[in-house]
Amino acid sequence: MSEEFNWLEYAEPEESAPAPSPRRGLSRFLPRLPRRPRIFRTLRLSFRPRLPGLLRLPRLPRLRRGAQPAPKQSSAADLLGTQDERPLEELDDRLQMLRERSAASLRSEAESRQALYDVDEVLTAPEILDKPGGVISAAALSKAQQQQVELLKDIVGGGAAQANEVSGGRIRLGAPAFSLSAIPRIVGTAVLLLLVSLPFASSDFSEGGLPPAEFQEDRHGATTLYNLLDNLTTDDYVLVAFEYGPAAAGELDSIAELFLRHIVAQGAKPLIVSSNAIAIARARNIIGGINRSVAFSGNELVHLRDYAILRYLPGGSLGLRELSENFADVARVSYKGELTGLEFESLDDMTHIVLIAERAEDMRHWAEQVVTQVERTRLLAASAYAASPLAQIYANSMDEIVGLLVGYRDAYTYGQKLDDDFGALLPASDAPVNEPVSPNRALGGAESQAEGAGAMVEPSPPTEPPPPTVAPLPTTTPRPTNTASPTATALPTATATEESIRVVEVISPEQVRIRRGPTRADDILRLALAGDLFAVIGTNGDGSWYNIALSDGLEGWIAAFLVEEKTLTVAEFLAGGGEASARNPGERVYLRREIIASLGKNRPRYYQARGPIGGDIPEYVLLRDRSAEVPRLEAMTLGTLGAVVIIAGGNVLYALGALRRRRREADIE
Amino acid sequence: MGRGGLSVFVAFIVGAIAIVSLLLGDNPALFGAGAGSEELARRLTLPGDVLLRLVVIVIALSVVIGIVNLLYVHIGRLARGKFYSAVLLASFAVTIAWTVLNKGDASLLEAVQVPIESALAALLFPSLALGGARVMQKRADVWGLLFVAVVLIVLLGSLPLAELAPVQAFSDWLMAVPVNAGARAILLGIALGAAVAGVRALLGQDRAYRG
Amino acid sequence: MDDTTVQVYSVLFIAITVVLVVTARYFQARRGRRMQRQLAGMDQIPQWLMQSIETGKPLHLAFGGAGVGGDNTPAALAAAEFFHHVIQNADASDMPPLVTMSAPATLPLGQGALRRAWRKGNTLSRAQWTPPDLAYAGAVSASVADDEPAAHIMAGSFGAELALMLDSADRRGQPSLAVSDRLDGGAVAYALADHALIGEELFAAPSAISTDEGGRADAAALDVWRGLIILGAAVLLLLEFSKQLPLLSWQLALGAAAVLIALGLIFSRRR
Repeated sequence: MSEEFNWLEYAEPEESAPAPSPRRGLSRFLPRLPRRPRIFRTLRLSFRPRLPGLLRLPRLPRLRRGAQPAPKQSSAADLLGTQDERPLEELDDRLQMLRERSAASLRSEAESRQALYDVDEVLTAPEILDKPGGVISAAALSKAQQQQVELLKDIVGGGAAQANEVSGGRIRLGAPAFSLSAIPRIVGTAVLLLLVSLPFASSDFSEGGLPPAEFQEDRHGATTLYNLLDNLTTDDYVLVAFEYGPAAAGELDSIAELFLRHIVAQGAKPLIVSSNAIAIARARNIIGGINRSVAFSGNELVHLRDYAILRYLPGGSLGLRELSENFADVARVSYKGELTGLEFESLDDMTHIVLIAERAEDMRHWAEQVVTQVERTRLLAASAYAASPLAQIYANSMDEIVGLLVGYRDAYTYGQKLDDDFGALLPASDAPVNEPVSPNRALGGAESQAEGAGAMVEPSPPTEPPPPTVAPLPTTTPRPTNTASPTATALPTATATEESIRVVEVISPEQVRIRRGPTRADDILRLALAGDLFAVIGTNGDGSWYNIALSDGLEGWIAAFLVEEKTLTVAEFLAGGGEASARNPGERVYLRREIIASLGKNRPRYYQARGPIGGDIPEYVLLRDRSAEVPRLEAMTLGTLGAVVIIAGGNVLYALGALRRRRREADIE
Repeated sequence: MGRGGLSVFVAFIVGAIAIVSLLLGDNPALFGAGAGSEELARRLTLPGDVLLRLVVIVIALSVVIGIVNLLYVHIGRLARGKFYSAVLLASFAVTIAWTVLNKGDASLLEAVQVPIESALAALLFPSLALGGARVMQKRADVWGLLFVAVVLIVLLGSLPLAELAPVQAFSDWLMAVPVNAGARAILLGIALGAAVAGVRALLGQDRAYRG
Repeated sequence: MDDTTVQVYSVLFIAITVVLVVTARYFQARRGRRMQRQLAGMDQIPQWLMQSIETGKPLHLAFGGAGVGGDNTPAALAAAEFFHHVIQNADASDMPPLVTMSAPATLPLGQGALRRAWRKGNTLSRAQWTPPDLAYAGAVSASVADDEPAAHIMAGSFGAELALMLDSADRRGQPSLAVSDRLDGGAVAYALADHALIGEELFAAPSAISTDEGGRADAAALDVWRGLIILGAAVLLLLEFSKQLPLLSWQLALGAAAVLIALGLIFSRRR
């Protein structure tokens, strides 16, 4: 707004005199005229239409630049707005006659629009539009002027605000239902739709590579996030914040579902919470989807037993403040208003807080209102692609925030990782349907049984085939890191218990680290204690590191000087080995917390503990239909390509048009 | 004191209490060591917390006002023969009846609301793409060009195509440095604006609540 | 940063804001100077009002998700103030503006603005609440077809769903001005709206269309605040550089900062 421009006082000074002319009241009943078409403004033509008959329109209020504040001046508001509806009988005879005449001249009653809102009876506007030529003909343009007008119209480009433009001397009210200008829009939408649908129809349109099966090396946050969730146990509660609505659901539903499946598979209990009411419906939908996928095994998740959806938190960041300060109260009531039976003292009773955020603001609210209020609990964050640049800043700058996972591509990697790590536990699609999974095969060796009876209960046999999986199964997936060989197949499938295998026993009195690779710079997968036995897969070049088989289908590396190599029969191995930390959940929890306390932003934070250890954990919850994943990723790629082409093409055309217009303008000048 | 004056007075008092309470409360360190400072900090925190809880309750209750407004508006429109208002009112009645009869079962809401909103979300894609194609129609200047260029580079950078690796690197830099800086600057500006708006509200300069 | 530091900074921040606002108001009253810079699209609003008056079509004023009580309360207040000034001048029309919002707590704000300016008729039905985000965008798009607003002024809190509303407005040739306190909404507004304000211009908009001298002073205070922050950032940056380059002294850094600021001022004047 320019300094000198004040449009509040735009009335003409001569009209602002307090003249109680009859026109003042009448102006309400005059027909509504369209705004002066842009062409006239451009031409600066004096556009003063005259009504046929008695009345003259009041002058249109004219904008005046540079007017100084003059509060005494009457504005259009003063002239018109303070009027109440005048009863008919108050009008003088002349006006009443005029009204009757104009009403009679209406072609149809239907055309007398009732535009006054909530007013039952008004004076009907005299219909001037039916007169051939209408108001516009009053301007009486010559042919030369008409041509000029057409040229100017072309220059102005028929942009916005021309819906009511003059056509054929009549004023058209409202936009046409369909016009040719809609064609590019329809074509563009059709092209986008086609591109997005193609990958679902045929596999010939596979553009671009799939996301990696492991998070990239430099993405410490993402790997740590996975490992922290992978480290949950049956006594853990995880607060899962669904902070996204339907607009981001396509992008974030997958990651939310994977988080829930992972948490439940570990035996921990997710408590779902949201400051977005619609997100609660989404959470219910996702749980419904998980339940449908595990229905065949009878391991459906039950509200308040396996998970809980807490009450909605109104008030945005205020709601989150309430959550962090009065978590005990919030956790007592479910979204349905029933009591959850959950007794907590504070948010610190949560092992982790998981946030799935659509917007950077959500991340900010959680970082400011929640993370600052907890002492120990960490915030594991995932966000939509659009929010990631700002959300990443929070993840980088606050030690308490771990992450960030971004969008659907990271969800794919997370899911792939989950399948790789747990895949051996699950029935393979090529395995006979009714054949229970062999614990030996499942756990990549004998280690599982060494852990004791309840360590890894085989899942009950499925009664119907698991959903088809398109993505390669773990047994055939090449592991991307330096763990070179597929886990399950690389290990001795110890069907004969007398077969000898090469094992190592931890001899160090201290906790020792099992790493992802044969160097001290590699990620720590987990810890081991003296006496733990591991099957050996191989060694590195100089024999300073052993490549060993871990439970859960994992493998790792351990430094040779910490262990003693032995050769045992499988039976001996099964009977003699074991990990104290795994046998004793309390100790295991202690181990984990110790590691968490030492996590820092600047050093590797990778470690991984064991998989599920309880006997009642529905691992089947990890079985999911992945058939749509790859086409979806391809559809994303093709759709983005389509958008790029449309945006680039459209803008090039409009830019050329603008250049041409400017040249013509310059020519006219 | 007129109604407006009373509103301003209430706003000022409540705002001042909330600010003092939230800024100074809950941190005994501000008041030196000793048991007295803790007690002082606790007492200072209390009014702010109470006010915030009241706000949360009011916000939750305001949904009721919204629903009343929605019904009022659409009953009015129905009287003017608007068909879709009839649909809205009918679905409102059916949803309420279903939920009451099924003791709080919200499955109808989920079965209808979620797909419809998802469909709307899907519409966003062509809307944004086609809208992006018209930027130069509205802003045929260097800023419009810059905007389109950044959009295209970021879109191309998000594609998992090996041929586009240089674009991806450039896009990453673009997002991490200039875009990030710009976004922070805008957020900073908004925060400053919010602070000034807050001071205006406290000083009673806003007509919004002056009645 | 520990709690105490945060609290001290917060108190300082609020104190400086109050001092700036009061000072700007003092100078405004004393010198009577107009201290506000120009905002895009503001000169269109009177034309839209005229169009609304002459065609009997309502203006559409949208708060979006800006809600009282939430963290975008200031945005809601600023938008309400903005709309108040717009509506003040729309009451010459026989169609009251249509005010929509998706935060129910904003309903009284919108209705209050309507009622103050539009003392006749029933304003309740012209302020409409719809559930948030996409449902809101859908409802507004339907309203665009149904009520055929003369123009749209969308000021408040919007996300990507703004695209749906602006697209349907654009399709029907209805002009629009949009500003959002959210980044995604701001980007969509820039791409699709006829006129877009950016970020904090939402808070300067009310005074840009009113004669409210105090509001202009507040907007000026906002500009000064921003200038101070830019100055601070520039000084810190240069000091950081001066540490790395021994040739640069702090005097030089300050001098360079002054030059930068002068350039910034000249540039902003031109704008």
